Amino acid sequence: MEALALIQAYTGIGIGLIIGLGAAGACIGIGIMCASFLEGAARQPEMIPALQGKVFLLLGLIDASFIIGVGLAMMFAFANPLLSVVAQ
Amino acid sequence: MTTPETTQSDAQMYRNMLRWQMMATVVVIVAAVLISGIPAGISALLGGAAVILGAWFAAKIAVRAKAKADPTAVLLNMLKAEAVKILIIAVLLFAVFKLYQSLVPFALIAGLAAAALFSGAALAKVQTPV
Repeated sequence: MEALALIQAYTGIGIGLIIGLGAAGACIGIGIMCASFLEGAARQPEMIPALQGKVFLLLGLIDASFIIGVGLAMMFAFANPLLSVVAQ
Repeated sequence: MTTPETTQSDAQMYRNMLRWQMMATVVVIVAAVLISGIPAGISALLGGAAVILGAWFAAKIAVRAKAKADPTAVLLNMLKAEAVKILIIAVLLFAVFKLYQSLVPFALIAGLAAAALFSGAALAKVQTPV
């Protein structure tokens, strides 16, 4: 029983770290990219339409790690594989 | 500032992105079915579908406001699209984990990761120089 509670507690901390650090990394990456986009748009406004699509694709790429992190966090929250060790 | 050609090119870019995501998901589904059976394949399909659906909605939002010339408005629109995408993916994943009883979590993560990572593959097909 105590082992179960311990695993759940540490899993909760892990889920928080996965989501939090993933979100922080994605936000830093998006911030850098958006700053570069604004700088580029200020220098060459005629390039804005050409850059929009690329910005969107790169946003998706930067967010991919966070989305994978969310999926992993949900796996640990709803179908924790570590708990099966205690159940056996 | 936005010409019809660039709008069409961007829409094509988004279609390319969705096509790459679908191909990656199909490859993962086939691998999951071969390795672990039908439930694993369905799990991979659900993982990939969550990302593809989110990306499709985000692309719709991104294309809708193409006429804006102000870079700040463009950026805000992109961030709005991205927020909608993440919200849709989170809700769909939550529903899958809650409702699908014979879920194979690792297959779902594989499908999700493949679809998410291959969203950037459409950059390889970009014709216009930056």
